[in-house]
Amino acid sequence: MATRKKKIALVIGAGSVKCAAALGLWKVLVQEDIHFDMIVGCSGGSLYATSMALGFTPDESAENTKKLWNQAVTEKRNWRGLASAFLPGIFKFNDQFSMIDDGPMLKRLRMVFEEKTFADTKLPLYLMATDLYTGEAVAMHEGSLVDALRASIAIPYIWSAWTINGRQLVDGGAANPLPVDVAIREGADIIIAMGFQSPFPSKIKSVSRYAFHINSLLTNNLYQANFAFHNAVHHAEIISIFPDFDRPIKLFDTHEIPYVIEQGEKAMRAQLDYVKRLLES
Amino acid sequence: MHKNRLSVVIGSGGVLCAASLGLSKALSREGLIPGMAVGCSGGSIYAAIIALGIEPDEAEQLTLNLFTSDVFEGYTSNLKSALSGETRFTEASSLIDDNIMYERLKSVFGEKSFSDTSFPLHIVATEFYTGERVVISSGKILDAIRASIAIPMIFSPWKIGEQLLVDGAVCDPLPIDVAIQQGSDVIAAVGFEMPTRKRMNSYTAVTTHFNSIYMNNILKSTFAFYNAVHHAEIIPILPDFEKPVGTFDTSQIPHIIAQGEKAAEQHIPYIKQLMTGIDIA
Repeated sequence: MATRKKKIALVIGAGSVKCAAALGLWKVLVQEDIHFDMIVGCSGGSLYATSMALGFTPDESAENTKKLWNQAVTEKRNWRGLASAFLPGIFKFNDQFSMIDDGPMLKRLRMVFEEKTFADTKLPLYLMATDLYTGEAVAMHEGSLVDALRASIAIPYIWSAWTINGRQLVDGGAANPLPVDVAIREGADIIIAMGFQSPFPSKIKSVSRYAFHINSLLTNNLYQANFAFHNAVHHAEIISIFPDFDRPIKLFDTHEIPYVIEQGEKAMRAQLDYVKRLLES
Repeated sequence: MHKNRLSVVIGSGGVLCAASLGLSKALSREGLIPGMAVGCSGGSIYAAIIALGIEPDEAEQLTLNLFTSDVFEGYTSNLKSALSGETRFTEASSLIDDNIMYERLKSVFGEKSFSDTSFPLHIVATEFYTGERVVISSGKILDAIRASIAIPMIFSPWKIGEQLLVDGAVCDPLPIDVAIQQGSDVIAAVGFEMPTRKRMNSYTAVTTHFNSIYMNNILKSTFAFYNAVHHAEIIPILPDFEKPVGTFDTSQIPHIIAQGEKAAEQHIPYIKQLMTGIDIA
């Protein structure tokens, strides 16, 4: 009896700029001629997951990142949103609140991913978001990629929620920061999961930094609790790749991307023999 | 040797935590005496009350005195000046002056320490900078509760020794893990999901909404993990409140306690069976 080919999934967790480490991981696997059967991404990880699933090379994906995630996307403050925070009556505070205007981000997402949909990907792709009102995890698998990405990266307080099919969605990290469960459900036998801890603001000097700090603590605790559960209970092989960074990498430290990729490569290389053994067994 | 040691774990949930008094009533009526109490956030108040042996009727009166609307004084004006940048907001800041709350807690717990309880008491808080779980099992009960209920941004974090501590719900909203680690065999866990918002009409509505979403997801993940992996009997007591109860809605307290008692009663036969060591298999 011929053994069924093992299905390999890559899961890239929430982690903003640090998610670029997935490109390092990918380079190593491409060199070893190991290919994925599906890709799952959450928040920052969604950008890389999508780039890979569409068939961009690791180098092209690194280029895409520079266009997508840089200081320019945060340049435009949402003054109306900020004003509404302390004069909610006059400036109509509502659930579309954000600190940053999403115009520049949307423009860049469209530049890179155009009108492409999930049907255009070469590999099955799943992107994680969170239902703003119920907090439930939502795995997106069809429709416009730009829409799905915009929803998946809607970091609380920074970007506003994004509506898809009448449902308001925010950052997948609020429900499922490292969505290995999606890969399990979709029948993966081997799951390579790359996860990250959220960074803390270096100094708390305003209400918004305070809120952001608490948010990071919560995300990290959710990440650990969630991963512990899936790791303990399920039977797929989950290989965790947690790159080591010798310095804090903040939300928009894009100049660190080459270093981040290198660390991702190192972390993957350390586990490579094990992955190969699993594939041969 | 304490075989089948019963513990009561009371999760975070503001005024809803008073439902644990219903559980306590139901247990004592059957002569079931817990050997340990664990509390988090609002639940820490009731874990301490139960461990100190305060009678349910007296505890109900204490609850009515504890949660009144004046504990929120100054909230709106503080928020406005913090958001407009008039006042700096640091890790020592809060939107509510904790005086009223602190004095009320002090009138209940005074100088009592963990060594005054009739059985072991453990209170969970979160280390402010790292988000790690801190279990407090000695010292002044008042300090431990004050740290555990330090709702992010609303109340300032609380220093115990060298550690700055904040709301236990940031790391472990329903700390059954503490009961397991302390050797419980049977765990009656009273847990609550935090209320989420239907409308987001202010900055704090957004922050409390996001905090609730995260805490609820952490609650589900940790509960799923410990329920799946450990061998202690975990009995979730989830009171049904029919209609939503606001976090500080004191008029509902008698109803809350009654619902807690009702929820507990359903599980009493099973707890009794476990405690008398009857093989239920």
